Parts: sequence; structure tokens; C-alpha cells
Amino acid sequence: MEQQTTDFDTRVKLAVYRHFAQTGQRPASAEIAAHVGADADQVREAFGRLRANRVLFLEPDGETIRMAPPFSGVPTQHRVIVGKREYVANCAWDAFGILAALHEPGTVISACAQSGERLELPVGPDGPPPSEWVFHCLVPASRWWADLVFT
Amino acid sequence: MLFFRSEELVKDWCRARGVEPRPIVSIPQLWGLATEWYSTRLAPNARRPGPAEMREIFARLGLTDSFWDPQADTFGA
Repeated sequence: MEQQTTDFDTRVKLAVYRHFAQTGQRPASAEIAAHVGADADQVREAFGRLRANRVLFLEPDGETIRMAPPFSGVPTQHRVIVGKREYVANCAWDAFGILAALHEPGTVISACAQSGERLELPVGPDGPPPSEWVFHCLVPASRWWADLVFT
Repeated sequence: MLFFRSEELVKDWCRARGVEPRPIVSIPQLWGLATEWYSTRLAPNARRPGPAEMREIFARLGLTDSFWDPQADTFGA
């Protein structure tokens, strides 16, 4: 039974990630239910287990996906363009992470958090070109999950 | 987790908020973090790195400050 639950959760997780990868948008739980051939309650329960395992971050309603790192379900200042698709990242790290997950070249679009200067960085298969831009994280690694939205 | 145009602008941002600057990460280091964390994320067996693996990843990328220790309980306030 436990193995069946694990297998089901893996199918749900893959369906969520593939939806993000193919569309740039978060899927509704009903879309995932249709995709995996389950009912909405089963998918909501799987979302809860994936949240507990730190795979998904959900809105307070317990079924709307806020984050499936590196993908964001809501607008942020960090965007990634791959061909004609646009993605939203949770943070600067995840902006690069989307390209790493997709294994595709693309462009990271963001801004300097202090000056507001626009960042538009093309990223190839081997990574970004030399750049004087830097990354800064205020929250230490031990507390990242305690307040993921702030981090 | 934010981008800045320069380290000087990180200091300005921190000063305006009354917080100490944290370790600066270069763009090549950030790409290293992204690939280590996410390059298998769409695969069936993908998983987040555990604490020991996180330390190894950070060390490989030269991020050795206690800020990066996923189990430190003493960094900052």
C-alpha cells in the first residue's frame, strides 16, 4: 500500500512538473487528476504529501500550487524565456534552475534589487557568460524552508 | 534570493534594511548551484539534496561559510 502511494505521488509530481515545463503555468488539481486518472480528492491528498516532503509549496487552500521549485505559480520579478515560452521563477537561483531543469538555452530576465537596473542574461548550454552581476541571499541555509516565500 | 548589479549595491541594500551582508555568490557559482539542484528535477527519481549532500555541493562551489550549513543553528539572528 505504501509503495502504491509512493508511485501515485511520483506520477502526480511528474504530471505537475511536466505541465509547468510545457506551459510555464501551474496546473489546476483537476487537470492533474484527469492526467493521472484519479479523482480530485486523491490528487489533493497527494499534493499534501508532496508538500510535507518539500516537493510542492501550496497556497492556504491546500490545493493551489504556489511553487514547484524552480517553477513559480505566481508572478515574480524573475522570468525566463525559452523559445516562445515564458516561465516564472521563485527567485534568482530558480531562474537559472529553470534552464538547468529544462536543459535548454534561454534568457533570464530580472532586475537589480537595489537599483532596479534590468538584467537580461542569455544562458547557453554551458551556462551564462561572464558577468559582474552577483547573487545575494539574506536567509541562511538552515532556515530556507521555514519561510520559503520570504527566502 | 536576489540579483544585484554589484557587491556595492548589495551593501547599500543591506544598509537600508539594517542587516549585515551575507556571503556574495558569483554568477558562475549560481549556475553551479542551479545545475546541482535542478538538472534532474523533471526525472522520475528526482529528489532534493539532503543536508550532507548540500554541504558537499556548497563546498565544491567554494561556499564554505557557516551561512551555507543547512543544519547550523547559530548563524545570524
